[in-house]
Amino acid sequence: MSQLRVANISKRFGGLTAIDDVSFDVHEGTIKALIGPNGAGKSTLFNTLTGFDRPDRGSVVFESTELVGRPPREVVRAGLARTFQNTQLFDGMSALENVMVGSQARQGRGFLTAAFRLPSARAEDRTARDEAGRILRMIGIEEWSHVRAADLPSGIRRLLEIARALATTPRMLLLDEPAAGLNATETAELTQTLYRVRDVGITVLLVEHDMGLVMEVSDDIVVIDRGRKIAEGPPRLIQKDPAVISAYLGEEVTPDDV
Amino acid sequence: MRTGRLRFAILFITAVLVLLLPLVVTDRFLLKVLTYAGLNVLVVIGLAVLFGYGGQVSLGHAAFVGLGAYTCAILTTTYQLPFVVGFAAAGVIAGVGGLLLALPSLRLKGHYLAMATLGFGELATLLFIEAVPLTHGVDGFTGIPLPAFGSLVLRSPAQLYWLVWGVTGVAILVCANMVALRPGRAMRALHGSELGATACGVDLVGVKVRAFVVSAVLAGLSGALYASVIGFISPSVFTLTASVTFLAMAVIGGFNSLAGPASAAVALTLVQYLDALIPGMSREAAQFVQAYEADGYGLLIIIVVLFAPAGLGALFARRSRAEVQG
Repeated sequence: MSQLRVANISKRFGGLTAIDDVSFDVHEGTIKALIGPNGAGKSTLFNTLTGFDRPDRGSVVFESTELVGRPPREVVRAGLARTFQNTQLFDGMSALENVMVGSQARQGRGFLTAAFRLPSARAEDRTARDEAGRILRMIGIEEWSHVRAADLPSGIRRLLEIARALATTPRMLLLDEPAAGLNATETAELTQTLYRVRDVGITVLLVEHDMGLVMEVSDDIVVIDRGRKIAEGPPRLIQKDPAVISAYLGEEVTPDDV
Repeated sequence: MRTGRLRFAILFITAVLVLLLPLVVTDRFLLKVLTYAGLNVLVVIGLAVLFGYGGQVSLGHAAFVGLGAYTCAILTTTYQLPFVVGFAAAGVIAGVGGLLLALPSLRLKGHYLAMATLGFGELATLLFIEAVPLTHGVDGFTGIPLPAFGSLVLRSPAQLYWLVWGVTGVAILVCANMVALRPGRAMRALHGSELGATACGVDLVGVKVRAFVVSAVLAGLSGALYASVIGFISPSVFTLTASVTFLAMAVIGGFNSLAGPASAAVALTLVQYLDALIPGMSREAAQFVQAYEADGYGLLIIIVVLFAPAGLGALFARRSRAEVQG
């Protein structure tokens, strides 16, 4: 039984078909990668899975809950958290505070309980602080806890966004190009983080351009090109798939492009 | 924890000093000016929550002050209801106004939101001028009774000062609690990145609406106090100029701070009454300062935005950062 079932998703923008009848499954406890050349529709697909965009057709079922038509907030509460290609951190807040915002995803707005500093509001604040500290330690960036997000190096920013998503207590994590802009050391740290996330029982679905990372961490890969799914399978099969090579890998490795 | 206690001690001492001031200050005029300062602080604290934390600009806050002032004036004068009723109703009516203004804010950002709030302010001014049977139009509303609780009528400058600063103090406390806990983080999050906040499950609509309502209610309460303390209101008090002044105080006070904007509100209020506060200051000099008051605000805002975006709040922020690390 798959944890996430994407079925026949299509999305058009005016005359352009961004996603054309794409279906795939993500199984619990695995790391799955979604790859494809630039403009293949990966980010659009990501947005339709997380409620930021509504597909024209198709369904997204996460643990027997239909997600299509639900706003992002409900998708997060259902247990599906995401990060962004351009990190969307709260720059004026410390790393710890960024994560605390994530850990409050399941709660209401709490203006009244906070205004009168009710014990429930204070207790909840302490819990969120402890929880955020625990997640920063797990990701290994606790020494940056009190640094403003704006002042963090890009590798730490990527990890912080993952930490913040983890704070929403997801059962599946969707990462949009987590390795973009990272150097080799930072990418290696990211790889370790991905394994750690999977090992605590959180499924990972990532869009990624770094083929080294994708081939190393993925249990399973789905390839899309011009909005259509062209291949799906384990890394060693994808690497040999003629359709994939001609659509994507081929053009990447031709000397003319380098 | 120790720095937290220090912070509390500083706040407590400041509060005590503010409350004891009328025992030392015997100059009735100065006491009145300080009372006006309290009225402005009340508005600016709300604006600091909305703008400084939530990032939602408002060029129409004088309208909320006006809504509160007219509500209180009409209820206590025309209908001779007790001050407490007028005061509470002022908060409610202004809060409803805030709810109405929050609706465009859900779709608009930056300049466009500024324009919408400006339009709201102008509409409110029109309402105050044109609804003559209720507001007495451009002539203004006179004979508003002094604040009273049962048979106790507050008439001395010291009593009025205590009333205004008492309300303002409670408002500061409530807002400080809100911004220190989850709502404050939610507001700063949506200010930082709406996409990121959405992905964290923050209820953007709910948080924005609440920020607008909180700041509108405080402005409305300030208006009710203004009407009762001064006894006279007219549409010319609640114009764009006043809205810009409030925003200037909030900007100069700085983002993510309540102490900064509160200090800025006190300082800029004192500037308006400079001639009366500095004995021996020549009339011409005072007139010169007041003639260029608006220009001065503009210049100050530019300087703050360019060179010290954290505003006056930066003076207080160092302490809070120490607290985070300690």
